[in-house]
Amino acid sequence: MKKMKFLLALWIGKALMLFCNLFAKGRGTNMPGANSNRIMPDFIGQFTGIDTDKVVFITGTNGKSTANNMVVHALKNAGKTVCSNLEGANMIGGIATALIRNSTLFGKVKTEYFSFEIDERSLEHIYKHIPASKICITNLQKDQVQRNGEPDYIVQKFRKVFNPNVTLFLNDGEPRAKSFEDLTEKVVYYGVSKTKYSFVKDKFYDVTMPCPKCNDKIVFDYYNVDNVGKFHCSGCGFSSEDKVDFYAENVEFSDHSSFDCNGFRFTVTNNEPFYIFNYALCIAVCNSFGISNKELQKGFLNFKNIGGRMETLKYKTKTLKYIRIKQENPETLQTALDYIAKDPNEKILMMGLEELKDFEPYYTNTFYAFDVDFESLKNYNIKKYICFSEAVAYDTANRMIYAGINPDDIAVLPNDSDEAILSELDKTDIDNVYLITWLKKYNELEKSTQQYNKGEN
Amino acid sequence: MNKTLNITWLYPDLLNLHGDRGNIMAFERIGKKMGLDVNVNRVDTFSQPIDFENSDIIFMNAGELKSVKSVVENIKKYGNAIYDFIESGKPVIAIGTTGAVMIDKTIRSDGSVIEGLGVIHAEATERKAIYGDDLHFCLNEDKDFELMAVQIHLIDFTLKDKKDALGTLIYGKGNNDNDMTEGGKYKNAIFTNALGPVFVKNPWYTEKIINEALKAKGETPAEPVEESFYSLERNSFKAIHSFIKQKTE
Repeated sequence: MKKMKFLLALWIGKALMLFCNLFAKGRGTNMPGANSNRIMPDFIGQFTGIDTDKVVFITGTNGKSTANNMVVHALKNAGKTVCSNLEGANMIGGIATALIRNSTLFGKVKTEYFSFEIDERSLEHIYKHIPASKICITNLQKDQVQRNGEPDYIVQKFRKVFNPNVTLFLNDGEPRAKSFEDLTEKVVYYGVSKTKYSFVKDKFYDVTMPCPKCNDKIVFDYYNVDNVGKFHCSGCGFSSEDKVDFYAENVEFSDHSSFDCNGFRFTVTNNEPFYIFNYALCIAVCNSFGISNKELQKGFLNFKNIGGRMETLKYKTKTLKYIRIKQENPETLQTALDYIAKDPNEKILMMGLEELKDFEPYYTNTFYAFDVDFESLKNYNIKKYICFSEAVAYDTANRMIYAGINPDDIAVLPNDSDEAILSELDKTDIDNVYLITWLKKYNELEKSTQQYNKGEN
Repeated sequence: MNKTLNITWLYPDLLNLHGDRGNIMAFERIGKKMGLDVNVNRVDTFSQPIDFENSDIIFMNAGELKSVKSVVENIKKYGNAIYDFIESGKPVIAIGTTGAVMIDKTIRSDGSVIEGLGVIHAEATERKAIYGDDLHFCLNEDKDFELMAVQIHLIDFTLKDKKDALGTLIYGKGNNDNDMTEGGKYKNAIFTNALGPVFVKNPWYTEKIINEALKAKGETPAEPVEESFYSLERNSFKAIHSFIKQKTE
């Protein structure tokens, strides 16, 4: 009876997948599996042919999509077959959809390896049905507070999942991720040594975080990216390891960055500091699956991340460089500002930290902007700031004023119509424009600028 | 010679959840605008002493619920110092979940109990689901004095006596789902669910608290800040008020 129910759910999932492929492209990454799960709540646990020793879950606040894309790419490049949710559908519906896509009509999965990006809140539920032998935690940061409240909310959820049977791949430079080391003896640490982009925070208002073990202050000797670096606790002595299992060292940044890891010099195509963490994790996971460094190197040279965070728009003579950030996520906002810092040319910064409208109640949170270093913006050759949004443009502008930015350089647009935004842009003769806003607003602006450009031609 | 305002910022790294360092920046900015010399003294670790004697305001920002126990234990190491400070009328402010430091006790979802300082008589219970929303309320001591903020609600507060509330809800959740109360107050010891940072978004309230601190140390109120200095915040208030109105219509 259970088998029949599973087959019914599977076939409905496959039919929905076919429907999506034909008529609703874009909905096929989650919807078929979500419906199958609705029919049978333990649906994903019924597939056959899954060797849990060859299953890796990648979770954490930031970097899990990139790391998963990298692992899947590296495995495939080494000739392995992989089932994955590359499209970012990282809850149970997305996992189920990936399994439906890669299985026979009788529910036998056809791939040898499984690499899934997992939403932090969904890990417990998914692990119950597929007990992966390897779980990677990239980092646990402040994120989506309307759902997650505080990082410890996720920490407590994770602690229910991890057990001595799991091999944990932990970011050695991120205290919350590293704190799970107590839950199993099978721990693999990965990290990045000090690089030319490493920094310290020593200004009066700089703050760190509480120790996940004793609640006293965590001190960072240096940071490689925000909230990740070499650390120790001022209370209990909890700290980064002296010897990290997979440690990217001697990092040289260029169009083809390179680094050493366990005696092998890797050359890679991404040159942002946070990518190097993902490469180190990818090497750790793939080595554990028996993939050689030589094979990995080949894959790294043709790796292209899916759904990157940077897009470019043309509008009249201007180039708008869009940097995508995750909503209510200070680290991605900080990374966006750090990216702008690397461009020495004069520029305009358009910032649309809009209202949060993912689910009800919609609300006007902007407090995460006070977790971010806006003070350095003064040094980035920004000639004008445009703050736009219906309800929070004033709060965004106020964050800039608190950072010491000249109020005369800030335009406040309490409106997020494309027409108003573009017409504000018309008032300046600087063509180098950076745009930070939600993806939805970017998509709207993309359409508006395309329409304008068509009209011009 | 300018009057001086000494702010003790307790555990900035441990109570660092919702960008609330902005609250301290607001006190520094508004205090200076009021013509005061503002000194902010960070107490970073539990081993660093708290100088109650030379503090005019003690500030605790929002932190993770797990930090509450350690914070309470460390403040209690100083015996009656915190209670004497509060009895003297000096402000002690706890933001967000750190409000649990000020109340009698908090019951966590696993059944464990965190004892608070018992300054404001209330109990809290950890919620199953987190709730985030805008928060608009007026002060109980002055119904025309309105504050705009947001709130991320992890624990429901229940005051023993509703008269101890800091304010009354106009929109949002406040302390709980039931009684329209927001925050709690005893003399100038305050806890509030208001985030934003609340003292950035409502500088008129920052000014009011600073004057309370001056009063408690026997000084006259500072010169009021010109209303035009708050134009961004007033505009923000109006814009968010309209946004809330759209939600409720």
